[in-house]
Amino acid sequence: MMQIDRTITLLKQGKHITEEAVYSLCLKSQELLMTEANVTHVDTPVTICGDIHGQLHDLLTLFDKSGGVEKTRYIFLGDFVDRGFYSLESFLLLICYKLKYPDRITLIRGNHETRQITKVYGFYDEIMRKYGNSNVWRYCCEVFDYLSLGAIINNNIFCVHGGLSPDVSTIDEIRAIDRKQEVPHEGAMCDLLWSDPDDVEKWSLSPRGAGFVFGQNEVNQFLHTNNVELIARAHQLVMEGYKEMFDGGLVTVWSAPNYCYRCGNVAAVLRIEDDLQRNYTIFDAVQPQDGVGNAIIPTKKSQMDYFL
Amino acid sequence: MTTLQKDDESTFSNTEPKRVKVYILENNEWKDTGTGFCTGEVSTFSPSSSTSIDSNEDVQEKSAFLMVSNEEFPTNILLKSKLEGNIEYQRQEETLIVWKDLEGHDIALSFEESLGCDRLCDFIVQVQKHIAKNISLVAVRSGDEGVGSIHEIITAPVSLPNIDDKQDTEKLYEALKILNENTAYQFLKNETVEFVLQNDYIKILIDYFSVAEDNRALKDLFLLSNIIKTLILYNQRDILENMVDDDHIMGVVGILEYDTEFPNVKSNHREYLKTGAPTFKEILPLENKDLKLIVKKCFRLQFLKDVVLVRFLDDHNFNLFMDIILDLQTCIIDFLEVDPFLDNILKLYDLTKEEEKGFPDLEEKRNDGIKLLHQCVQMSKNLEERDKTKFYKALVRMGLFNVLSYAFYVVTDPNIRILATETIITIIEHDILLIRNAASKNSKLDSRRKSPIPGSQNSEDRLENLTPMSDEMKLLKILSKILLTDKNPGLREQIVQALNTLLHPEGCFNSLDGDFDGMGSGSMLNDFNYRLNPERDNDFTSSTSVNNEYTSEKEMNTSLESLDNDQEFQLQEYFNDFYKLIAPILFSPMIEKKNTTNKINEEKEQYDDFLLIQLVKLISFIGTEHTRITSRKFILESDILKQVCRLIKPGHILQLRLTAVRCIKNIISLDDKYYHRYLMTNNLYDNIFELLEENKQQDNLTNSCIQDFFKIISSKCIASNMDKNSIEELRQQTGITISKKNNFSVLNKYLVNRFRDKLSELLDIPSVGVMISLCEADKNETEKKSKTSNDHMLSKVDTIKEEDEDVPMSLSQTSSVEHSKKSEIRKRVHEDIDQLDVASTNKIETSIPNGLPPKRQN
Repeated sequence: MMQIDRTITLLKQGKHITEEAVYSLCLKSQELLMTEANVTHVDTPVTICGDIHGQLHDLLTLFDKSGGVEKTRYIFLGDFVDRGFYSLESFLLLICYKLKYPDRITLIRGNHETRQITKVYGFYDEIMRKYGNSNVWRYCCEVFDYLSLGAIINNNIFCVHGGLSPDVSTIDEIRAIDRKQEVPHEGAMCDLLWSDPDDVEKWSLSPRGAGFVFGQNEVNQFLHTNNVELIARAHQLVMEGYKEMFDGGLVTVWSAPNYCYRCGNVAAVLRIEDDLQRNYTIFDAVQPQDGVGNAIIPTKKSQMDYFL
Repeated sequence: MTTLQKDDESTFSNTEPKRVKVYILENNEWKDTGTGFCTGEVSTFSPSSSTSIDSNEDVQEKSAFLMVSNEEFPTNILLKSKLEGNIEYQRQEETLIVWKDLEGHDIALSFEESLGCDRLCDFIVQVQKHIAKNISLVAVRSGDEGVGSIHEIITAPVSLPNIDDKQDTEKLYEALKILNENTAYQFLKNETVEFVLQNDYIKILIDYFSVAEDNRALKDLFLLSNIIKTLILYNQRDILENMVDDDHIMGVVGILEYDTEFPNVKSNHREYLKTGAPTFKEILPLENKDLKLIVKKCFRLQFLKDVVLVRFLDDHNFNLFMDIILDLQTCIIDFLEVDPFLDNILKLYDLTKEEEKGFPDLEEKRNDGIKLLHQCVQMSKNLEERDKTKFYKALVRMGLFNVLSYAFYVVTDPNIRILATETIITIIEHDILLIRNAASKNSKLDSRRKSPIPGSQNSEDRLENLTPMSDEMKLLKILSKILLTDKNPGLREQIVQALNTLLHPEGCFNSLDGDFDGMGSGSMLNDFNYRLNPERDNDFTSSTSVNNEYTSEKEMNTSLESLDNDQEFQLQEYFNDFYKLIAPILFSPMIEKKNTTNKINEEKEQYDDFLLIQLVKLISFIGTEHTRITSRKFILESDILKQVCRLIKPGHILQLRLTAVRCIKNIISLDDKYYHRYLMTNNLYDNIFELLEENKQQDNLTNSCIQDFFKIISSKCIASNMDKNSIEELRQQTGITISKKNNFSVLNKYLVNRFRDKLSELLDIPSVGVMISLCEADKNETEKKSKTSNDHMLSKVDTIKEEDEDVPMSLSQTSSVEHSKKSEIRKRVHEDIDQLDVASTNKIETSIPNGLPPKRQN
């Protein structure tokens, strides 16, 4: 525990974590995550958070504005890494919290938590820049494989990163997926992480090349079959931070303010009260600070020597 | 491009007469005033003079005119219009020039042909540059789909920033404004870029920057920063390269430390570059100054892109940065291929000349050299395929394999080994044959070498003692041994990736096929030819069809055909060697040693579970990816699956236990009779059910993993039955039907009978329900036609023969083994049938002996 506290302090300051420390954190979190279900049961009150995308300082703001992990239960809907400059720190901070407060934080896998996607969208490069080899990336990807695919709050709200799948009509069916694998290119596991809602009549092809686009009919069907009232998901940038659709049957929550440090959007988290009332908290990007309160500008400085 | 002032004056003369119609606008109507010949004329004082410009004369005294003389009466001047003031000439479409002169007349010249119009426009451009600087010429074309019009400046007066040494807030503000405005038209932009480079404008800004910083003139500092940013947005390669050269880089990043977006914060880019930045290490002096500059520029551009401007660049700018960096990297790699620098680095690893080096810090240099090579190869990842091939071949030629041998035999630091492995992975993922060649060439060196490699752990590791082993096998053996001995988890993962690539049957030849239509084909082919060359001690008879580098295209094509066969043969040979020589070493922790059966528990203790995870994954891999007959023979004869299933037992970490379950799932998904029988006769599913028992009340990963196992069986049972029995029958009866010949049905029956009690506790899992009802349905049918069922079972034995013929390349040298195996399997199948007959009476649990008699005597 001491070790974890020390790591958390270092992470908040954006300081370097040794390869060995990352490895041991990753192993511990594998062991913990294995005990969890593909769809984890979570109790209210709980705060649902959308994409983080390596924006460490905004993640810190998020905890700040929503009560903090000491007092609040959280569900993170995935996409912890890529795009931002602190993917590693963001992800490690979350798994440190998970290890320290296992019941107070639930981590769901996003479509960016895969080897293939992180190689293209920044996490892999970030690790090469910070460590000079890809080991730490490999350790983290191994943890990604153990992340849950969804969560269910009070048997009433279904949480997932992307959306629905034509191969999944009941939440129970998700249990029969052996989730410890790289996200496949098709099938239920892929769709849960990749699909998007839209105004369509039926299951449609997704322009993303993976997952499907689903509409009100599919949502109503799913809500009815599973006797739940809301699907909470992330996966799409919402300038206002959140967006309810289909008569409140689905909500998109987005938690990376000023996405990619330039989109100019605000971020939101959704708190579900004991009576299932929904309370949104909106927050904006702030000037990041280092550990001792000095303002800093997020960059991606290389820590490696170069020979050419 | 030339300067603004000094244009090529020889082109600036009176123009050839061109046929035009002259129109004047009167009362909103264009009036045709006649047809004639138009010329552009320059005169000093006398308007009628038609002498060409004398460059000695003062430009200021010259005037220029557009003249049209009547085509029938040349002395009759239809038009004489002076180019003066701020007249804007418009070229409309191809053949019209239209303007309003200073007296307010609207005039239009309609040319007979666009060529004539071109000439006169050129004339106007020259006049703008030399005589009447404030006139302009604009091309007007109708917009896309006839909507609106597009204006494009051809020439115009350009406002440019002040280049006084003494800058101030006002001048900077004006400059920023001008620079922003000038982005609106390509012409203005080009002129501005030219101006910036000609006048070293960035240096002027940098000089003033140090003044402003000394005076803490914050406003000026922000203005400077915005000016630099605006110039970056010009997205011009020349400007960017100008900014990162030795004279400008510090000033530019200094200016960019001030950012209006973060008015209260100053970055410390200069300090970082001076002290904190990654240092440019020269292992050996880099003599080539040009190369050195390119290396620095490349680093600085990356620094600008990744750090200084990371939040500022849009996709457009970003792509330009990437393009320039890629170009410089290609340049660096090209340099390295021919420059002695890299050659000298690689000589550091030539262990035969140990004494000649004379560096006190040789070990450090060697380790740094591995870092350097790693960096080069990482850099080369972005290059075009052809350039990569060329570079990797150069590395191989310079002795890359010496470096790898050094990394694996001498170095103990896992970090260095990791970099070496990463380097190999990059190269073999590009083209596996390159490394195999490296291995083969190096082995010749090795065999000549008298002294053992210093630092090799024991004599067994020395390459020369492995003479019967082919060259590729040596590499595989090195990697296998490292995997078994080095405990660094990152290195292990990388080695496994390297093994996966080296052992991927398609990886070996896909790159070759893919390359044949490209330019690289010749070289790749030649590479391959080397491998088949008679000088190698192999007895390839086909090597006569293979040629050297000068093979003509036609010959190459003929050799190609024979190559196809050779390739297949070689591939087969390669994998045979792997199973004969490497697999027993690589998988030794998974293979029971015959004489030590009582000490199994002690044996496996020395291998940690994380290593075993990798090995079990590799077994999945070879089982599913390699030619079935070869991999199955190895897996079954060395009883590896027994060990895999033993790993499912408690006492191992859960990650390993589940990896083992997944391996079994992969194996049964192959739908292979032999595996199915093997797993059932040895009762290898028992441990999965033990694991299930531990977790049946839990909703966790283990439970899901086993549910998936049931799902595979139930869905395959149903799927394979659909075609054989009609769907109607399926609906009419139990809702499901079953075929007796199907592997999964047999497995399902076996599992339901053996684990009925456990399964019946799990009926809330849909696929378990399906499994049980499928078995019931089958039992009902079996009772109906109990006699025929036995025949079905026997027919399985006959199909075995057919299947062997399906397998490609059944190998002559192993056929005797295969034969004995066949009869052995026949024997097993008969045992099977006996057991299954018992099973159909539903008493299998007690009937099957736990330890079956030994299968093999070899």
